[in-house]
Amino acid sequence: MPSDRLGAMAAGTEAVNTAPVEHEDAGFQPHSRTITLTSKPLPLMSVVKDLWAARYVLWTLGRQEFFSRYRRASLGVIWAVALPLLQAAVLAVVFSQIVRFRTGQHFVVFVLGGLTVWSFFGGTLSTSATAIVDGAGMASKIYFPRAVLPMIKLVASSYSLCISVALLVAVTLISGIGLHPSMLLLLPAALLLIALTLAISLVSSALHVYFRDIRFAVSAVLTIWFYATPIIYPVELISGPVKTLLWLNPVTAIVEMVREATVGADPGWEVSLISCVTCIVVLMFAAMILHRRFDRVFSDRL
Amino acid sequence: MAALPAIEIRDAGKRYVKYEDRPLLSRASLNLGARTTRRDLWAVRHINLEVNRGECLGVIGRNGAGKSTMLRMLAGVTAPSEGSVTLRGRIAPLVSVGVGFHPELTGRENIYVNGTILGLSRREIDAKFESILEFAEIGHFLDTPVKFYSSGMFVRLGFSVAVQAEPDILLVDEVLSVGDVAFQIKCFNRMMEIREKAGTTVLVVSHNLSAIRMMCDRAAVLSHGEMKFDGPTPDAISVYHDLLTEMHDPNDDLVEDTKPLEPDVMAVQSFDIRTVEGGLSSHFEAGEDVVFHVEVEALKDVDDPVFTIIINDATGRLVYKEPSISRASGHFAAGNMLSCDIRLTANLPTASYVAHLIVLKGSLTHRYSHARPAMFFVTGRVLVAGLADLHASFTTRTLATVSEQ
Repeated sequence: MPSDRLGAMAAGTEAVNTAPVEHEDAGFQPHSRTITLTSKPLPLMSVVKDLWAARYVLWTLGRQEFFSRYRRASLGVIWAVALPLLQAAVLAVVFSQIVRFRTGQHFVVFVLGGLTVWSFFGGTLSTSATAIVDGAGMASKIYFPRAVLPMIKLVASSYSLCISVALLVAVTLISGIGLHPSMLLLLPAALLLIALTLAISLVSSALHVYFRDIRFAVSAVLTIWFYATPIIYPVELISGPVKTLLWLNPVTAIVEMVREATVGADPGWEVSLISCVTCIVVLMFAAMILHRRFDRVFSDRL
Repeated sequence: MAALPAIEIRDAGKRYVKYEDRPLLSRASLNLGARTTRRDLWAVRHINLEVNRGECLGVIGRNGAGKSTMLRMLAGVTAPSEGSVTLRGRIAPLVSVGVGFHPELTGRENIYVNGTILGLSRREIDAKFESILEFAEIGHFLDTPVKFYSSGMFVRLGFSVAVQAEPDILLVDEVLSVGDVAFQIKCFNRMMEIREKAGTTVLVVSHNLSAIRMMCDRAAVLSHGEMKFDGPTPDAISVYHDLLTEMHDPNDDLVEDTKPLEPDVMAVQSFDIRTVEGGLSSHFEAGEDVVFHVEVEALKDVDDPVFTIIINDATGRLVYKEPSISRASGHFAAGNMLSCDIRLTANLPTASYVAHLIVLKGSLTHRYSHARPAMFFVTGRVLVAGLADLHASFTTRTLATVSEQ
């Protein structure tokens, strides 16, 4: 039976215990869930355990978040497919008829791959920064790990990601590239994308509780970040120190991985994986520190 | 091994920092000499409390005494700034009307979401689903988003999930006052039931002293963030009453009266509450006689002034009002002092009451003067609730033998 130091002390000092009701249910463990709250950071295990326990909440609210966008629209979820489809069509027209960076009809696939990554990344980050603050209604009444709130946005965006990845694969096949084994790279690319977005979301949403400028800072950074990522242009086009900067951008690795799976990536893209993974690890570590420290006191500032 | 207490609070305190949100470019922040104003505020401090399994503890205190902060710490929504709060078992907090429902989700989805947050597995919720529905009485609104629910349905569903989850610790705030009486009784019975059967620890925060008295053997009194008392409920209520007297500012609530004032005719000099023996008192047992003693100075000659006694309960509800209109009080010459004793029997349930006294012209057209309100407290008979103690008598007898088995 788990008992902390204080509990043991109390049991020792109370010779006469007046615990009134005997409970005989089989399998019942009265102290199976003991938590002690202090001003110290939460034990990592308890955060992980609570997060795991909240998986159903995460899944339900994430699904709800996605479907509620379309709930009142008469075309419903069709919009979720129609909009990226339209985007792909517009790209096809613009980049095959008007703008030409690179010869070949694969340019549409080239740009669509980058945009698929970016619309998940940018779209999620711009909503998840305010997730904890916006979730105040529920969060101030009942406890669940606050990290669930930005994760809900991530789950919701993942539905769109699935749709746009399917679309990307379809466009790739239509444009005559054909099936090839490197397409399997889409899976690790999606995982990296989700991990990176999650890490940034966890940090930004926690900081936003204390610094309400974060949401605007995120929009500002995203505007610049879009052009600092090889989405509508190939890395090859750039040279010198700017190229190094591109390789340091953690999103570059993911975009290039998606390209490797479809039209073929810029040579030497594997380097950027290092910065991507480093970013994820560092940010996850920061997120862990922030959430362990502030998880139970966020509600004081909501 | 002796069971450890379900709730254990050790020297806990919660400090809130009062920040002033100040945009970077405002004039004040451009003034670099000015320090950021950061004021610390201890909502509660040095709280020590142990609640054993199966116990029901009432928490009482005035607004701002720290009850909600304490409850928030127990609900795990916020961690203490110092000391520790230990909770052993599954907690179901019913901290306010919202009870942590997501407005966009349907009743069904919210049952699952709320249930999982309360620590149930999906399978457990499946098993309890029918009884949750039955208790909540939400009928065909099950698949409607809860934002369309009435406040009664909201609370019913919240309470239903919380009690059917069979928590080890149930925290109840004023929520229950939202439901109608029938539902309140149902909730009360259910709480007592899980307490007896499953050994659930119940912690009730309420201003409704009769509810506390009915449910809890033990109560804690909070005042200005400190634990003033922790012990048997009747004693706690009397400590709470004393606090109310200390802090009551008589100028706060003047008697509202539509009639225009004629202040230069009579002036109330004193108004107090006494026992039949004549000593000042503010505590009375149910059935005891209470004497309201008023002394008035006649500034002008006056005929048959009328004394009106008004008794409100702590929430401002009128309990009793009677003018002395039918009794001629006589002629009083200017410069005389007169007194009036109003004696009544405190056939009242446990509560605090506010007595007002108004002196009116005989024709009731004008108000001469009024006394500063005085408070008194009644320790009612156990289990009596409502506005008045009407002394019901219960007679039961066997009518006929129905069955021979």
